Amino acid sequence: MNLNSKYSLLAFVALSLFGTTSCQKEEDTLPTIAAIAVTNADFSTLEDAAVQGGVAVVLSNPNPGDPSGDFTVFAPNNAAFSRLGLNNGNDLKVLNDAFLTSTLLYHVSNGNLAGNSLSDGSTSGSALGPNRRFIVRGPDTYINGSKILATDISAENGTVHVIDKVLLATGADIVQSALALTDSKVFNSPELTFLVEALIYCELTGALTGSAGSPSFTVFAPTDAAFKQLGLDLGVALNVPADIRQLPKEVVTAVLLNHVIADGGKFTSEMNAGMVTPLGGTALTLGAFNQGILSIQGNSNSTVANMVIPDVLTTNGVVHVIDRVLLP
Amino acid sequence: MHFNRFLCTAVLLSFSFLALAQSPVSGFMNGKGHGAIAVSYTAENYDKVFLVPNDAVGIPVFNEVDVTSISLYATYSILNNLDAVLSLPYIQARGQATEDVLNELGFENERDGIQDVSAFLKYRPFSADFGSSSMDLVLAGGVKTPLGDYKVAEGLQSILAIGNRATSFTGMAIAQFRTDMGWFVGTQAGYSLRSGEVPNAFLCEIKAGYGSSRFYADLWFASQVSDGGVNILGEGFQGFFPATDVSFNRAGLNIYVPIAGGFGVSAGVSKYLNGRNVGQATGISGSVVYSF
Repeated sequence: MNLNSKYSLLAFVALSLFGTTSCQKEEDTLPTIAAIAVTNADFSTLEDAAVQGGVAVVLSNPNPGDPSGDFTVFAPNNAAFSRLGLNNGNDLKVLNDAFLTSTLLYHVSNGNLAGNSLSDGSTSGSALGPNRRFIVRGPDTYINGSKILATDISAENGTVHVIDKVLLATGADIVQSALALTDSKVFNSPELTFLVEALIYCELTGALTGSAGSPSFTVFAPTDAAFKQLGLDLGVALNVPADIRQLPKEVVTAVLLNHVIADGGKFTSEMNAGMVTPLGGTALTLGAFNQGILSIQGNSNSTVANMVIPDVLTTNGVVHVIDRVLLP
Repeated sequence: MHFNRFLCTAVLLSFSFLALAQSPVSGFMNGKGHGAIAVSYTAENYDKVFLVPNDAVGIPVFNEVDVTSISLYATYSILNNLDAVLSLPYIQARGQATEDVLNELGFENERDGIQDVSAFLKYRPFSADFGSSSMDLVLAGGVKTPLGDYKVAEGLQSILAIGNRATSFTGMAIAQFRTDMGWFVGTQAGYSLRSGEVPNAFLCEIKAGYGSSRFYADLWFASQVSDGGVNILGEGFQGFFPATDVSFNRAGLNIYVPIAGGFGVSAGVSKYLNGRNVGQATGISGSVVYSF
């Protein structure tokens, strides 16, 4: 190789190195709220919910509804979704689509809510409409019945706090909420059909319908499976909701009143082990507060009832769906 | 010497322009009247995406994506210093979303079709001969435009889109240094003007290799830096993937072996090293080439 070609080669190599190294890009940005869900393995179910609920693009962008341009999101982790039997994106198919979107919006609010501003008794509005309530219990802070596990994760378009239970609010009163479940507006399969039939049979729907100034309640709502199990336990055929009318009205009324407490509506985070007296008058026994739920036992039950879907906020109280009928 | 160099060139050129969708053109010229036709197969797979600022684990909805293609390439030398290059791929992208998720979202696990046709002209205005080595300067310009009617605006379904439907005008400057022993090193840099919301991009590549009448191999490193665009799930993202800032560094290796009667076969591997808004894909390629 002669001198000319050596220099040419050197010049050429230098140019190439310059060319390729200048083809780089460096930038430091915060992830958006949607990006946080997608890039964090502990939010994979939330990611699937956001995609299926149609909010992924909204949460990638600034909040048009707030001067700060920010959202605050209380993000349920994978364990929170699993508590409801939703272990992955596939399981979300059991939820009504509109209900999924509404539920996601209940976790979102405008602006930046800092972790240290979540004081006991304070409330925060949601993008869905209904408020959320903050409760301090010992060293922990709860939003409704959900424990806040981590706070103040910064995003390009707001703030994320992590919670251990999915927040649920129906935006309707206890009766309308139960009807929504029977009409497949929550799960794609109907639920609480026996309970609603019993309420209508005993003419108790009025008492549980909300109106201005009406009292709020805590309601333990047994699932359809719980009623069918009751049928087996009593040796009475309870195969379809109408079968509840085979039982005497006073008996069903007493059982129903055993499930309603006139205490203004309490979340699990506000409940403690001990006795509580429902409208029917015979006390219920609450078990220890453990992992965010408590067991409930009626006076005549041999086994406890467990909460399968706790802390559902309605306009006139809080509903906890349970797996056994409580007998007075 | 002159004749040998043409033979070498034909061999070198025959597959070097094919390799796994890196630069649309190489620094080698065919020689007047010579050219090549090739059918090439590529397969890429990725289950992670380079995102800003952190990478995604798993692909949303589709979990994992496989992209395969079959392409037709042709090149012909009109004059000693003027070559034409044409290519047309058929691409298939497959995801692995579950049946339930597909039903929930109304999506499908496959998108396929004829993609974009490319036509380039290469002009060599300058060549320096140092005796046992030489240096060429080649200027290339071309256009790429969608031929098939593949879709790109289907929201998150377009994670599987086979292209971005942009019409692009690309200009590259290529400098290539070669020795008569067969070693070569080439570098190219250029700019691509892209239509619609697809950002324009800077392209560059450096390649080094060896070619003889019996065997060719090269190692390459290529970059694309988009001039604008949004990040997936970043501010300004509206679910329209063609508007994203696709930038990356890739590297790969190609080998070509002539068989007989002008035919030869090639094989290659490539990998995306880093980048943004692009799958972390590893790929293989193979082709059959006929040179004349």
